[in-house]
Amino acid sequence: MNMKINVVKHVLAANDLVATENREVFRKAGILAVNIISSPGSGKTTLLEHTIPALGKVDPSIVVVGDLQTTRDAERVSDKAIQVTQINTGMSCHLYANQIAESLPGLNLEKAGYLFIENVGNLVCPGEFDLGENVKVILLSIPEGDDKVAKYPTVFRVADIILLTKIDLLNSSRYNLQRVYDDINKLNPTAKVIEFSSLTGQGMEAWLEWLQTQKQQSVGAQAKFVKE
Amino acid sequence: MHEMSLAVALMEEINAIASQNQVERIQEVELHIGVLKQVVPVVMQEAFNAASIGTPAEGALLKQVAIDAQASCRSCKNIFTPEPDNFLCPVCGQGLIDILKGEEFILQSLTCES
Repeated sequence: MNMKINVVKHVLAANDLVATENREVFRKAGILAVNIISSPGSGKTTLLEHTIPALGKVDPSIVVVGDLQTTRDAERVSDKAIQVTQINTGMSCHLYANQIAESLPGLNLEKAGYLFIENVGNLVCPGEFDLGENVKVILLSIPEGDDKVAKYPTVFRVADIILLTKIDLLNSSRYNLQRVYDDINKLNPTAKVIEFSSLTGQGMEAWLEWLQTQKQQSVGAQAKFVKE
Repeated sequence: MHEMSLAVALMEEINAIASQNQVERIQEVELHIGVLKQVVPVVMQEAFNAASIGTPAEGALLKQVAIDAQASCRSCKNIFTPEPDNFLCPVCGQGLIDILKGEEFILQSLTCES
């Protein structure tokens, strides 16, 4: 005899529950958790190498790095952040909330102002998994081309801020910057967009200012954490 | 690519339900998948095949029901279907919207032999 079981359950509910718990840990610790998402090679680690020292000793940073293999990224930021944890995801193309939760007990969150979570280099899957972060940062580098926003809409739709990295290469490529802005405006007109270069420092001031504003707004402001 | 992660999470749910209900073999798994979830049906099927090996759902038919996207405009309250590359309200052109449908990944039902 056949039997039909009606389930009607969100399959990622378990991940979202852990993400909510992570967010509460961050709130209590007074730390801004930043989920950094981009393709491989867009400049996530380089961004951190420049951002963490610039935020200064007043607001030290902790970094959690996700990669399929190696500790190379963790090593690059190890002398800049007060703590660095590398998560090797093996075959998984993104981080899960659970992996963040498991790394939290070993981290001195109270001593830091920022937790940077460098996600696995991938422009699709990380956008689908809530880690409990306060803000999502998406990097799009000039060499990737001006057509990527429309091709990978989900990550750009969920972005709080988009950094157009390696902007110093703009003049040496056939790149239609207006096309990128037009595509972003159709998907996520409220996202902040900064033209950024770790090499020349362009956009760094605006980026740091944005981070500091987000931290002021998030820490202690519980209403912000209600997910709509 | 995230289909494999979804398949693994799905199998955790299915295995829990199967053991609660003492089900030995599942014939059909019905999923409701929002179009905004970027799930490719062929890839989802492959991931399900791989993840279900050795479980009661091995060999089960995977029924994937697509759920269309729907959004509501905060400015003019218009309900509309966003385009894949355009989420602005087609009536007033504003971008402050709420997604009502299209982000689901729901295990709807299991059909089992008992």
